[in-house]
Amino acid sequence: MKKLRMAIFDFACCEGCQLQIVNMEEGLLDLLDIVEPVEWREAISDQSEEYDLAFVEGSITREEDEQRLKDIRQRARILVALGACAVNGGVNRLKNAPDMDEVRRCVYGNSATMPHLATAPTKAVGEVVKVDFEVRGCPMSRREFTYIVRCLAAATTPVVPTYPVCVECKLRETVCRYEFNEVCLGVVTRAGCNAPCPAGGQWCYGCRGLVDDPNVNGAKDIMDKYGKTVADLRSRMELFNSVEARQCQGQ
Amino acid sequence: MPAKKLSQSALALWVRKLIETRRVVAPQAKAEHFAYAPLSQAEDLRLDHDVTILPPRKYLMPPSEVLLRFTRKDGYTSVIEHEPMILFGVHPYDVAAIAQADRYFLHDRPDIHYQTRRRSITIVASDVQNASEDVFAACLGTATVHDGFDVLLTRVGDAYVIESRTPAGDALLALAQDLQEADPVSLGRREQVWEDAQKLLRRQVLKCNPQELPALLDAAREHPVWEKRSQTCFSCGSCVTVCPSCFCFDVEDELDPDLQSGTRRRQWDACLLSGFAVVAGGHNFRKRREERYRHRFYRKAKYLPERFGFMGCVGCGRCVKACTAGIANPVEVYNTLLEGAS
Repeated sequence: MKKLRMAIFDFACCEGCQLQIVNMEEGLLDLLDIVEPVEWREAISDQSEEYDLAFVEGSITREEDEQRLKDIRQRARILVALGACAVNGGVNRLKNAPDMDEVRRCVYGNSATMPHLATAPTKAVGEVVKVDFEVRGCPMSRREFTYIVRCLAAATTPVVPTYPVCVECKLRETVCRYEFNEVCLGVVTRAGCNAPCPAGGQWCYGCRGLVDDPNVNGAKDIMDKYGKTVADLRSRMELFNSVEARQCQGQ
Repeated sequence: MPAKKLSQSALALWVRKLIETRRVVAPQAKAEHFAYAPLSQAEDLRLDHDVTILPPRKYLMPPSEVLLRFTRKDGYTSVIEHEPMILFGVHPYDVAAIAQADRYFLHDRPDIHYQTRRRSITIVASDVQNASEDVFAACLGTATVHDGFDVLLTRVGDAYVIESRTPAGDALLALAQDLQEADPVSLGRREQVWEDAQKLLRRQVLKCNPQELPALLDAAREHPVWEKRSQTCFSCGSCVTVCPSCFCFDVEDELDPDLQSGTRRRQWDACLLSGFAVVAGGHNFRKRREERYRHRFYRKAKYLPERFGFMGCVGCGRCVKACTAGIANPVEVYNTLLEGAS
């Protein structure tokens, strides 16, 4: 079987998702049986003009990045968004709320006007080019990444959960965070992570993004039931789902 | 074998002995709740548990179970996973749910995976000592059980009445020391426990005979309760995931890294999840939240009773607790339908 030519690119992010791939250690050898890395800044020095499979990590925050991403798309047969930043803008999207000049000043101080720091509102990869598949999460899950690579190499469609995190909490018999009087985003967040945060005593941050059909209309009733407000819910959604948080009205 | 009596200390010694012989899984404390887990010492056993987060079905049909291994070249080989196990301290409503699973998976064309695992499991049932706040088993006739287990334990004051019903149960009892014949007073107290269970396990009251439910539902397809209550449904499937009477599953294949071999698994599914009724081609037979919400009640109180003669609910109340939105309670739904019908 011919190996897939794989490339990995990074945009605005912490590069933690790529690091997950490097950290696979011996699992990396299995991966190299089915893919041939042809461009991957974090691990190799080669570059390539053509790839079967391009993984794009990070969100798009500058005009020149949009062009670079479009070039990648043209050279790639399949493009996969890697991690929360790429899939929906992730934490970077927090900056979209206030005035952009203020954001520049706050972050870069006196250097704010330098041309390479001309930051624009954050976009997800899918807002700039067509995305074929997504590997969600912050960081993305290694298990899901290798599963998707195997599926693509075998030309089968990956099946990833479309249901909320609650399913995985129940299967692990994790006591619900709402019972601890906390607002947890697990009820509207895509599963697939195996719910490690609630199992460790922490409410779900929603890093995998929302399910396809999140019930935000019911939010107010639920918050009332637990003595919370929609503002409580929204403040938690800001971190990884700021777009939806702003749509979540009903105060 | 006639009923015996066992002191608390003799019970602990017996459990210790069982742990030495075989894998014992039993209710143990988990945060403020209880969960079935492998028992490593008799002291962790909580026969006073009210209800466990997941029912013991996780041992009869694990949430993710390997069915077969396949290779591109040589076809497939079935994988039958099982381990001799004692399910210890099972409440009557859960015993009833296991009997329902037996009906689904052991009759007509037995499911070899379920059958093999089921045969290696010995059930030590335990009458309920503390009722959970949501339980309504007494309304459905599952507050006590008289079959479906190997051994039944009933606490009577400071001791237990213990009765074996099967050769497998006799073999377990043979490991107990200081077994006494159950005296008439203890047996009388056991009768009283069974009688009390009919009151204790009725924290919520279904205002009709469960046999009337299929006809009630027959006339309620367009009832406003479905739309109203499902407005806050997160489609998270928690009501189904924690249900002892739900056994729907999905089957998925996963390739090994070499892409030449792989594993087929069976995983728990839940009809409240948005993708449950999606078929090839992408059509979803129950696309709307309301349709999925309604389906659960029809499945449990109409379709299954009509097909098998029993309701797909044993009144444990786990769904009531598990539902973040507080809309899963079957008693509330059926009673609402009754109000409309009268």
